[in-house]
Amino acid sequence: MKFIKTREEDLEENYLELHYDEIDEETAAVMERLRPALKYIEGTADGKKLTVPLADMFYFETVDRKTFGYTKDSCVEVKETLQGIIDEYEKVGFVRISKSSVVNLYKIKRLQGDLNMRTLIYLKNDECLVMNRGYRAEFYAALNKLQGRKKP
Amino acid sequence: MKLINRSNFISIVCVSFTLIVCGKLLFEKSLGFTDIYYTENIFTCLGISVLATAILSLHYYLQRFPFVPVVVGQYLLLIGVVFAAIWIGGHFTENAPSAYRDMFVSVTIPYVVGAIVYYVSFFMQIRKANQVFMNLDGEE
Repeated sequence: MKFIKTREEDLEENYLELHYDEIDEETAAVMERLRPALKYIEGTADGKKLTVPLADMFYFETVDRKTFGYTKDSCVEVKETLQGIIDEYEKVGFVRISKSSVVNLYKIKRLQGDLNMRTLIYLKNDECLVMNRGYRAEFYAALNKLQGRKKP
Repeated sequence: MKLINRSNFISIVCVSFTLIVCGKLLFEKSLGFTDIYYTENIFTCLGISVLATAILSLHYYLQRFPFVPVVVGQYLLLIGVVFAAIWIGGHFTENAPSAYRDMFVSVTIPYVVGAIVYYVSFFMQIRKANQVFMNLDGEE
């Protein structure tokens, strides 16, 4: 199976296109891995129903037993619980960082430690989240898995 | 994740005890010192290993509290229990004049070294993770 990357300037949205005669095992496996990443998540914002690509989600947070998902510049209330999000989307880079939040590893810009060994997570939209020490092992295990996946 | 649990508690005590005793023996050998209280001191090492492992296992339950007060609090608890044990032991046997000072040094040095290793590994892990995030960005 060939993988061809083409850069097109001024493209509104990135897209993947599959050319095939028949779906073989290798192609099916790639599609299986892509499926969760290309999923959409349903939510509500200002009383309106929305569907947001999962890949656009920066993090999820629980406030007053409600779960909110945050994109670069918007927030939607979703019906999933944090545990449900982890169970469903762990493979596409979502990991728990505290009792009340789950972050998308692909949206992290950098980490910074403080004197009390809390890890500050700076996202690509310049928001900052705090990871508790109790979730460190889980976070680094997920990061290692993701790194392993990137190896050829 | 609980690092010290029921299934690995004994193994951790055994490893710590072996390392402490080996360190003690090597140190004594290098100084040419003969320990006249060899048996008592070996059992003291075992007691400290059990106590330190038990106190460090509490760390899991204290993770929501800031690290520095937790580490200092655990150290104070450990040294407090050790001093109490020396004080109680002093009622049944004769303590060396430098017993408190010796135990202070014996407990403090490994504890501080352990804390420094833990602290440094924390920041090294962050540096490594930042490298991974930079690589991810580069691939995008």
